[in-house]
Amino acid sequence: MSEPVVRLRDVWVTYRGGFFRPAFDAVREVSLDIAAGETLGLVGESGSGKSTLGRVCLGLTAPSRGEMFFEGQPFGRLRNRRGQLSVVLQFPEWALNPRLRCGRSVEEPLVVLGVSAEERKRRVAAMLEHVGLDAAIADRLPGQLSGGQRQRVAIARALVTEPRFIVFDEAVSALDVSVQAQVLNLIRDLQAKHGFGALFISHDIAATRYLCHRIAVMREGEIVEIGPSERFYGQPEHEYSRALLAAAL
Amino acid sequence: MSALIEARGLTIAYAARERHAVALDAADLTVERDESLALVGESGSGKTTLGMAIGRLLPPEARRESGDLLVDGHSVFVAGDEELRALRRDKLGFVFQNPMTALDPTMRAGRQVALALGGANAETVRELLARVELPDPDRVMRSFPHQLSGGMAQRVVIAMAIARKPLALIADEPTASLDASVRDRVMETLGRLRAETRASLVILSHDLRMVARHAGRVAVMYGGRPVETGPVERVLKQPAHPYTRALLRAGAGGEKPGERLEPIAGSPPVLAARAESCAFAPRCPMRQAVCSQNRPEPRAVEGRLVACHFAEAMLAERHAVEETKP
Amino acid sequence: MNLILRPHRAWFSLWRRDSLSAIGLTTLVVLVLLGLFGHYLPIGDATRIAAGPRLAPPSWRFPFGTDELGRSFLPRVVLGIRATFLLSALAVAMTACLGTLLGMVAGYFRGATDQIVARVADVLFSFPALLIGLLIAAAAGPGETSAVAVIAVAALPLFVRVVRSVTLTLSGRGFIVAAEVAGASPLRIMGVHILPNIAGAVVVQLTYALSIGMIIESALSFLGLGVQPPDASLGSLLRQGSAYLTFAPWLALSSGLVLSAAIMSVNLVGDAVRDALEPLQGRSLT
Repeated sequence: MSEPVVRLRDVWVTYRGGFFRPAFDAVREVSLDIAAGETLGLVGESGSGKSTLGRVCLGLTAPSRGEMFFEGQPFGRLRNRRGQLSVVLQFPEWALNPRLRCGRSVEEPLVVLGVSAEERKRRVAAMLEHVGLDAAIADRLPGQLSGGQRQRVAIARALVTEPRFIVFDEAVSALDVSVQAQVLNLIRDLQAKHGFGALFISHDIAATRYLCHRIAVMREGEIVEIGPSERFYGQPEHEYSRALLAAAL
Repeated sequence: MSALIEARGLTIAYAARERHAVALDAADLTVERDESLALVGESGSGKTTLGMAIGRLLPPEARRESGDLLVDGHSVFVAGDEELRALRRDKLGFVFQNPMTALDPTMRAGRQVALALGGANAETVRELLARVELPDPDRVMRSFPHQLSGGMAQRVVIAMAIARKPLALIADEPTASLDASVRDRVMETLGRLRAETRASLVILSHDLRMVARHAGRVAVMYGGRPVETGPVERVLKQPAHPYTRALLRAGAGGEKPGERLEPIAGSPPVLAARAESCAFAPRCPMRQAVCSQNRPEPRAVEGRLVACHFAEAMLAERHAVEETKP
Repeated sequence: MNLILRPHRAWFSLWRRDSLSAIGLTTLVVLVLLGLFGHYLPIGDATRIAAGPRLAPPSWRFPFGTDELGRSFLPRVVLGIRATFLLSALAVAMTACLGTLLGMVAGYFRGATDQIVARVADVLFSFPALLIGLLIAAAAGPGETSAVAVIAVAALPLFVRVVRSVTLTLSGRGFIVAAEVAGASPLRIMGVHILPNIAGAVVVQLTYALSIGMIIESALSFLGLGVQPPDASLGSLLRQGSAYLTFAPWLALSSGLVLSAAIMSVNLVGDAVRDALEPLQGRSLT
């Protein structure tokens, strides 16, 4: 039970240098745990390494050094973890394949898992309703939807296999304020219901502290502060966190 | 002296192949000389159309259906090509969202600024770059845009925008593509330059919180026109339009821990023609019968212009809440 | 739908909007129909020697005149249209499939695969096609197979480069990353997510490649390295006509004009297709 969903131990990600570039550590000695039912916020500027860390947690980038555990086991290969993790990314306009009807996008993780067509249809309809969309959206192309609707479809796709862990990478950054609030509340409610662990990557500290249980502040590949969100409503410990907070509010 | 920029009942529509969308619905706006005004709104509210109309920088499918927009007393829609070029060159300065697309990637920054100055010597360029608080102006002058950080590139764009001492600076989401930690400093620079040159600054943004720190007045746009216009502290502290209040409650940042954000139900309107009722009525919690029958025109209420039939009731409700607090 | 049910309406609406494309499309359709079915028309036999006097000027009986063997030139031009279009279309279609596959694999897997494919494409691209043609013809002998091979070599980099770069851009997009995280196989990602999204770019390249293919085929045949007599392509007819340019100019003129019309129509249609698939992005309506 107490086993975290994702556990990173002293993870480094080093990009090999090229002819003109020196080698570059995108992530330096990061250790963190994400428990089931917990959302960890990861804030920092672009280039701070937060998206690379997100890729590590998804198994898309292997750590150069250090270890990553998924539910207590070494991560292994992504293909063997089908349906256990998923992702929601920035830019609603690219979240969905523009040539696929939304229903097909949502069912894809189930197709990969080999779920039968009938079962898929049932679960897609249920999931669309669950994220507050009309089931008729399944027959529409992404181009016919608004940004908020597309991001909901992307969230439905991320949840359809009932994964243990979801990464949200700048998932609400491109949305308008009022739509952002809808999506943030949706993520909150879905997590309360499904109990997945989540990593919420964002440069927006205000949205992050609203959604997350704990927040990690990243700078130049290192985590400079990690603590409960309540701390970020008052005085964070690290000077850099305070600067980020002051700039945002 | 008259106002610097004045939009009077400006209606602009986009004629797409089959759809006809009204982007500005009889918008009224006044920008005084030597002030900073923020045009705030969500996508589709018409803020970009209004901002770009100031320089008549509208896409070809945009059509003015009625109304006018005056800059320094002259209509931009009547202006001939030469007059328009002179207006854009000498009276207006534009700062866009993404500095990398505003700069020519093949030309060194120094040369681009010199061109904006109308062919100036290196010394003048250096001075200008120092004024926008670029450290090491010499290095920046030698750099190509891709060698600059986003914040530095935006400062170069600002330098180009103020090069000819414009009467107004129009900044369209000037910090949206920048990192959170440099946003405030870039906005401070813009504000300081505005004050020094006594120009007017028009900020187009969706970010109410940022605006609160950097503008004197705010115009909240909804459904193609400003629905509440007034001094920032007044409007944000005591919104008189239900949309302004809803927008404030929806944005993360002002809430206390554990408090839930209140999204605005429904979605913004796409107007096919002039709205004959309140465009916000379908989403408004204070909606009454009159809201879907009469179009509210902007009127002065407690030091601001509000287009809402129940502005007084909104303010009274707020006062009542405050009085009952211990 | 309109195109199928009321072709004349669609044509007139195209003519009103863009008459140049309408001319190109019409020419192309006429040429393709001529190439496919022209030999059923009562215009005489393309191979019958001494059907009339030698090098006769155009007349009612021989609208394009006759060649040095007394064959009617019009049916020979129709034959040439068929050979030129068929050969280039065949070569380009094969190349498009191969190039799309290679470009997709290179762009999706990156790394060493990409390095090899991209370098080979660059080398092919920087090599003059005619030089390769001469080499291949010298090695394998002149003929239709060599012509197809040369067109393939020249057109391959066109597809590989474009498909690779579009695939590289697509690979970072949210829906592809999401599919990877869901555990989708590379085959599935390429088939379901990449291919439908690059189809437009491939079609645009197809038209460019087709016009290049026709130029190469004609050039090779003109040099005598392509289609061999008694078959004819527009290039070999032009070569034949150029020998009698001073006293029977109608031979070179007719085949040359038809060849120009063919290449121009393909280019015009190609431009129209590109405009339709990749319209300039206007400002967003905010």
